[in-house]
Amino acid sequence: MSEMPELNPVIHGKLRLALLSLLSGVDEAEFTWLREKTGSTDGNLGAQLMKLEEAGYIAMKKRFVLRKPQTLYRMTEKGRAALTEYVSALKELLGSAI
Amino acid sequence: MSAENLELTERLELIETMIAEGRRSTTRWAWTIVLWGVAFYVAIAWSSGFLGGPIWGQHYMAWPVTMVGTWLLSWDLATRMRQSAKSPMTTVKRAIISIWTAMGISMFALLVPLGLSGRADQQVCVAVVVTLLGTANAASGFLLKWKAQIACAVVWWIAGSASLFGSVTQSSIAFLAAIFFCQIVFGIYAMILESREQRRQGAANV
Repeated sequence: MSEMPELNPVIHGKLRLALLSLLSGVDEAEFTWLREKTGSTDGNLGAQLMKLEEAGYIAMKKRFVLRKPQTLYRMTEKGRAALTEYVSALKELLGSAI
Repeated sequence: MSAENLELTERLELIETMIAEGRRSTTRWAWTIVLWGVAFYVAIAWSSGFLGGPIWGQHYMAWPVTMVGTWLLSWDLATRMRQSAKSPMTTVKRAIISIWTAMGISMFALLVPLGLSGRADQQVCVAVVVTLLGTANAASGFLLKWKAQIACAVVWWIAGSASLFGSVTQSSIAFLAAIFFCQIVFGIYAMILESREQRRQGAANV
């Protein structure tokens, strides 16, 4: 019997998974855009983004546009590989269940 | 399906939804189609002498002034919109911008020397412009899987081929008709679609 793949716990959280999926389709995104798309609160969003950043899946940078601060996030290569692996594992798990 | 599998399926759906959400352009671009359609009409009317007055009397300035002016206006408005919309750059968006920028540069690179060298034949110029517009519309349409835009490309290509046959007047009529359908009608249709999408998103966020 083949072993079942394990799902990456860092990505498995619903909000973190949504954030990584969102970032996979764009070059980089602002904190406010991510908040709007996920409908999350500032505190929760900030905490989940920090977890993804600590895992090395996303990178953050700050800049000023027209004197207003902007926080931008982008997916790293490590994050892209992790999401790809997660999706493969998910499909494998679902496939074996059918 | 077990509860665990249902949750896993939900995760997969969440990934697909979020990726699609990221790719969706929230910026309104349809106005540029209508703007360029109007610019073509202004340039044609000016160069044909339908507009009177001291400035409008300079027919040789019609195309360069109208095209450069519209390009600058589009650039300025687009920059302002990008700054206010905050929507991130996506690969698809960058591809669309690249296609239209390359088409615009090609048009200037070809038509300006043609005009300056005196080798410009009106029917050939119309065919070149119209075929380039067809190419850009087709590339965008294929990329976005948007049948209406692909149909516009076909109309441009037919108008381009047709403009080489018949008289100068018939060629001009083909060009004017193609502008009407592919810039004005299609542009307004795209604006209506975007307006509906904005309303739908607004209602979903309430």
